Amino acid sequence: METTFAPFDLRQVPVLLRGELEPIHGWIERWSVGRVCFHVAVICVGAGLFGASVGWWRAPLQAFYTGVKLPLIILLTTLGNALLNGMLAPLLGLNLRFRQVSLAILMSFAIAAVILGAFSPLMLFLEWNAPPMSAGASERLAAHSLILVTQALVIAFAGVAANLRLLQLLRRASDSTAAATKVLFAWLAGNLFLGSQLAWILRPFIGSPALPLQFLRPDALQGNFYEIFLSALKRVLFG
Amino acid sequence: MIDQNLTPPPLPPLPSRSAPAGAPLGSDPAEQVPITGLLTAVEALLRQPRRVMFQLRQPPVRTVLLALLVIAIACSLIYGLVVGTFSGGTQLWAAPVKIAGGLLLAALICLPSLFIFACLSGAEVRLSEVAGFLSGQLALMAVLLIGFAPVAWVFSQSTESVAAMGALHLAFGLIAAYFGLRFLNTAFAHLNARSGSGLKVWMVIFILVLLQMTTALRPIVGTSDDFLPAKKMFFVNHWAECLKK
Repeated sequence: METTFAPFDLRQVPVLLRGELEPIHGWIERWSVGRVCFHVAVICVGAGLFGASVGWWRAPLQAFYTGVKLPLIILLTTLGNALLNGMLAPLLGLNLRFRQVSLAILMSFAIAAVILGAFSPLMLFLEWNAPPMSAGASERLAAHSLILVTQALVIAFAGVAANLRLLQLLRRASDSTAAATKVLFAWLAGNLFLGSQLAWILRPFIGSPALPLQFLRPDALQGNFYEIFLSALKRVLFG
Repeated sequence: MIDQNLTPPPLPPLPSRSAPAGAPLGSDPAEQVPITGLLTAVEALLRQPRRVMFQLRQPPVRTVLLALLVIAIACSLIYGLVVGTFSGGTQLWAAPVKIAGGLLLAALICLPSLFIFACLSGAEVRLSEVAGFLSGQLALMAVLLIGFAPVAWVFSQSTESVAAMGALHLAFGLIAAYFGLRFLNTAFAHLNARSGSGLKVWMVIFILVLLQMTTALRPIVGTSDDFLPAKKMFFVNHWAECLKK
């Protein structure tokens, strides 16, 4: 089945979204540089479009920055955790090779990116209806919050959908549902852990109305996501 | 658009993991294939742990044991280098030395008690085999730490908090130790021991020794004028002090 698609055939995208196990399993079993490039391209386009739509509210330049940064986070997370994910799979009972693991994860990110890309017109529509940057401070802040929440919801939806597809694939590749679930959660934990930090380093994405427009904040490499999160939690709980 | 030539030939079949957990070691012919190189040993540790266990029970144990020790030392040195990038300077060589040395020292300290616990539980095992299983555990831990190295590096470049980095490395170390101890537990399940409680006690001791090693060899993450600390401390006190800072 899988040989009916050349590596750059766009008809692969609906197959990925539908989670058709036969062809997808075939793609994972047969390593193809072309197919890897295709998935990377899908991630760059899909996540890039969504990133651009998120940043558009702040300024066109912010749209460009976020359009570059969002795919970068996905690709760096995949790359940074590739070794670990490749080791965890056999240790937790899933007999996949390193390349197969990397390809499976890349495919799940590609699914998420396609979903994100599809939501980018909706995001733009929302921003078109939101108070612009030239509005009053309180209105701007409300618009910023609305975009932030919507962006988080869309990313969460894309992530859940992509991981459900990945779980189906892992179940197919494994003799045991329990092993597939364990591997998925281990990968998820690792990817969330590193992805959150990379997102923290590469902030801003929407661009706070009160701060200047920048590709990276001057303090990008100071502090980490979890330290800031814990101190914020401390402030909330203990004042 | 249809081009079958663009698709490379399928990969060879994956090594079998089909032998049931309770089956005797070596019952699967794939487990009887000798481990010849370091990369084969790493792959076997991750994909065919029963093959490593079987080879460690076949005399002479020396070849596989040495391969596992080399893997453990090399991988822990590399991870140590990543740990050292947090502080830089002398820590670039001190941290790798301390991590590799600490891991080996902890294993050496705990080896006699592991052998005694194994014998007390009725296991039919020689000291060289126990040493082999322990080196397998260390190698697996160190290989897993290499997997964590890119994540650790990203965090080490974006924080100045010694406590946060220490906690992160500790978490990675404990996850690696979990998988290493799981390897040891599986290996001991094939030694006809009457009870596994001795091994469980030993695992607690090993973890405590590892944790104390983080204090005895401090600083591993931060900086100091001295290579080793002058003041003796228990690891809980040391961590509490770090958190206060």
